[in-house]
Amino acid sequence: MKEKIRNFCIIAHIDHGKSTLADRLMEITGSVAKRDMQSQLLDSMELEREKGITIKLTPTRMKYNFEDEEYILNLIDTPGHVDFTYEVSRSLAACEGAILIVDATQGVEAQTLANAYMAIDANLEILPVINKIDLPSAQIEKTKQEIEDVIGLPAQEAPCISAKEGTNINQVLEMIVKSIPAPKGDEKAPLKALVFDSFYDNFKGAICLIRIFDGEVKTGDKITFMQAGKQYEVTEVGVFLPKMEETQKLQSGEVGYIAASIKSLSDVRVGDTVTLTSTPTSQPLPGYKVVQPVVYCGIFAVDGSRYNDLKEALLKLKLNDASLQFTPEVSTALGFGFRCGFLGLLHLEIITERIEREFNLEIITTAPSVSYKVVKTNGEQLEISNPSNMPPAVEIKEILEPMVSASLFTPPEYVGAIMDLCQQKRGVYKNLVYLDKSRVRVDYRLPLGEIIYDFFDKLKSATKGFASFDYSLDGFMPAKLVKLDILLKGEKCDALSIIVHESFAYARGRMIVEKLKKIIPRQLFEVPLQASIGNKIIARETISALRKDVLAKCYGGDVTRKRKLLEKQKEGKKRMRQIGSVEIPSEAFLSILKLDDES
Amino acid sequence: MRIYVHIPFCESKCVYCAFASVVGNVDLQQKYFQTLLKEIEQCKENETVQSIYIGGGTPSCVDKKFIEQVLDKIKAHFRVEENAEITLEANPCSLSKEKLKFYKDIGINRLSVGVQSLNNKVLKILGRKHNKKQVFLSLKNALQVGFTNVSVDLLIGLKNTNIKKDCAKLLKYKVKHISAYMLQVEENTPLKSMIENGSQILKNDDECVRDYENLAKFLQKRKMQRYEISNFAFEGYESQHNIGYWVGDKYIGFGLSAHSFDGNFVRTANASDFETYFKGERDKEVLSKAEKDEEIIMLGLRCKYGFDLTKLSFDLSCCQIFKEMVDNNILLKDGSIVKLNPKHYGISNTIILKLLNCQ
Repeated sequence: MKEKIRNFCIIAHIDHGKSTLADRLMEITGSVAKRDMQSQLLDSMELEREKGITIKLTPTRMKYNFEDEEYILNLIDTPGHVDFTYEVSRSLAACEGAILIVDATQGVEAQTLANAYMAIDANLEILPVINKIDLPSAQIEKTKQEIEDVIGLPAQEAPCISAKEGTNINQVLEMIVKSIPAPKGDEKAPLKALVFDSFYDNFKGAICLIRIFDGEVKTGDKITFMQAGKQYEVTEVGVFLPKMEETQKLQSGEVGYIAASIKSLSDVRVGDTVTLTSTPTSQPLPGYKVVQPVVYCGIFAVDGSRYNDLKEALLKLKLNDASLQFTPEVSTALGFGFRCGFLGLLHLEIITERIEREFNLEIITTAPSVSYKVVKTNGEQLEISNPSNMPPAVEIKEILEPMVSASLFTPPEYVGAIMDLCQQKRGVYKNLVYLDKSRVRVDYRLPLGEIIYDFFDKLKSATKGFASFDYSLDGFMPAKLVKLDILLKGEKCDALSIIVHESFAYARGRMIVEKLKKIIPRQLFEVPLQASIGNKIIARETISALRKDVLAKCYGGDVTRKRKLLEKQKEGKKRMRQIGSVEIPSEAFLSILKLDDES
Repeated sequence: MRIYVHIPFCESKCVYCAFASVVGNVDLQQKYFQTLLKEIEQCKENETVQSIYIGGGTPSCVDKKFIEQVLDKIKAHFRVEENAEITLEANPCSLSKEKLKFYKDIGINRLSVGVQSLNNKVLKILGRKHNKKQVFLSLKNALQVGFTNVSVDLLIGLKNTNIKKDCAKLLKYKVKHISAYMLQVEENTPLKSMIENGSQILKNDDECVRDYENLAKFLQKRKMQRYEISNFAFEGYESQHNIGYWVGDKYIGFGLSAHSFDGNFVRTANASDFETYFKGERDKEVLSKAEKDEEIIMLGLRCKYGFDLTKLSFDLSCCQIFKEMVDNNILLKDGSIVKLNPKHYGISNTIILKLLNCQ
């Protein structure tokens, strides 16, 4: 049975056609009737389809007949964005092979390479596929050459397809069967299964997505999560077609799910090994390293009284997204809320959008920050991810900031612009490689804090969108960082504090107060806006007092109209946050991140 | 009880007007007054009428016979107090001596003249049909005919106007009452598109407020009191009818888009298009406690009479914002009566909104 199973994933740079190919594979294997085909079926979250990205990984099981034999193909989809790299590594561990899609009009990009290396590290069979051959600008031979030169994979035999038009998809399926090894493992051995993802179902409890390496599991089995040390009785096993379908059992080599009335998702750690309680395996699987958030921000309900709703929303989101972290936070300006940790800015954006959409909560997000290591003069060491917790400058001996090593892929004409940008972002040049005549890889070591600021946008505009970018965390480095505070009417507003490099402090302080002046409406009183470092004021603007609203007439006793107008304005007021005696629109807190050019 | 009658006809439409009013059309006028008279006749209220206000549109531009019929009908159907204030809105260009005498004879004792500005160029831009000369002539005529209670409407915030100088000139004609409004740019008006297309007709907010405050000072020196945000009068010449709106009196509105209030919780409004109005349809709105509170605060703070805290359905006095405003002299509190400090009239909306948020 195992010999007829192929477990694989599809890896690619963002937008190279991963989800489209997945759709085509399902369509051709008849996993989904054509009439049920909804474009990009695996991206089931509304947000995923809207943004055209894959966030969560979703497995699906397909049947494919090849040379009169029926094969089971398990496709494990992977996210494409750099924020979710760790999810890619998770799916890789459940597969024997990976299809590496390369867009024939774009060639090898930053995440193509990053993902390919991850697959190589995971000992997977990698099958390159050239996509988008239907486009006039497709350069098939050049792309093949690039795959060989840059990644070092043979690509001359790679199927050339158009996932959009459905061209040559059968070649991909044949190649999966022929080239990807069948899973190894022993049905007779004690159960050894890897939990590679989980999500929460309101009726069934936590659902574990598993890959069985040894043994088998069926309904009624008593299982142990080895790392968590928790035991449960299996209530259901099944596979994804791609909808969940109950089966009698899952055995060695298969991919599917188990449900066991698990009420707490914290009992289910991705990377954990599931085994039978009665006959446990002696050796758990290596598992994953725990992912640490890299970006932090405060989240508060606009309506302070909805703190509990916010907590509920975060708890529910965490059920399906173990990488989301949060702890309660109290801000003097914004009241009770949560300090949340994310894998990156996109992750942050997705979570905040989901809170607003799925839980109907209006929230205020403070400027994102990274986590700094602070060494105090008394030798104490702190991790600071919230600028308002930064100790006073006199108590600080040294601040270390997290670094990343970044690879940027670009046509040669933009090398200068990229180097300027990296230099401006305090990057340290490492390497420059000409991959071929039309492509250069530039390597830099950059502070993570600069990347979350506006690096992506700057990179895009500096290279007209031609450059791609990937990074991985790369230790800490001491830096001359200062805490920049914003004062409203002389009062420090903790939610607006940021940590910034000394050399940018003046410029940024000035820009923030200028920006706030534009965003904050005129108030009953004059409101001075100041930026300060310690006790030193470095920038100041003043919002003059509101002078006029409307002295309109109540014509013919139409009081209703006047009241309705007022009520409309009252609605608008709700989006304002009262800080001391100053009213601030909720978008002000995030807007300080999106400043105009620094020069 | 007070009565408002709406006359939705004008000689021309002003660029800033978003009201139910049309130009000319004799047949429509005929039909309109028929309906209006019937509406008055069918009214079942029987309280004494303390004031009547005939507004518009431009009531002075329709055949004066119509106005006579309306007043006769009201007097026949209701008991009107002997010295009831009866106001007619009028445009300077339609006020001949003969017409004014007619109005006087049928019982109108107060005129509200839509002057708006004394700058001919500005008047033209606004789409007004009169000029400065006609303003003075009408006011002179009114005096000669014997109108002793004349009010003028002026707009604040128009460029190239000096409202103080305008007022000084107007006061020479024994004007007793001045309504000075900041021009509000309404949706779907020619003014709105003029401004969107870059027309520089209006002063900026700061200049508007400066004009407004200077005007208030100027008029106060001449013993005209500001008894409502936009209304100034010599003692005894406050508009009784308008005060009625602000203190929550009962009133009935007749005519297109006219509003009525039962003095308690029910507001009704006639349809604002002719067809529906001719069918006799009215919108009824029953105020919730919260809405009633909003009205008390909103209307009370606009005039010097203020509002009574005990009339509200909740205890405003324990709200932090309220206390802060009292402490900062933004609100003046005397026992349970709360008034807005006239210094802050310019931003009354903002202050009212803050108080409404206490609900």
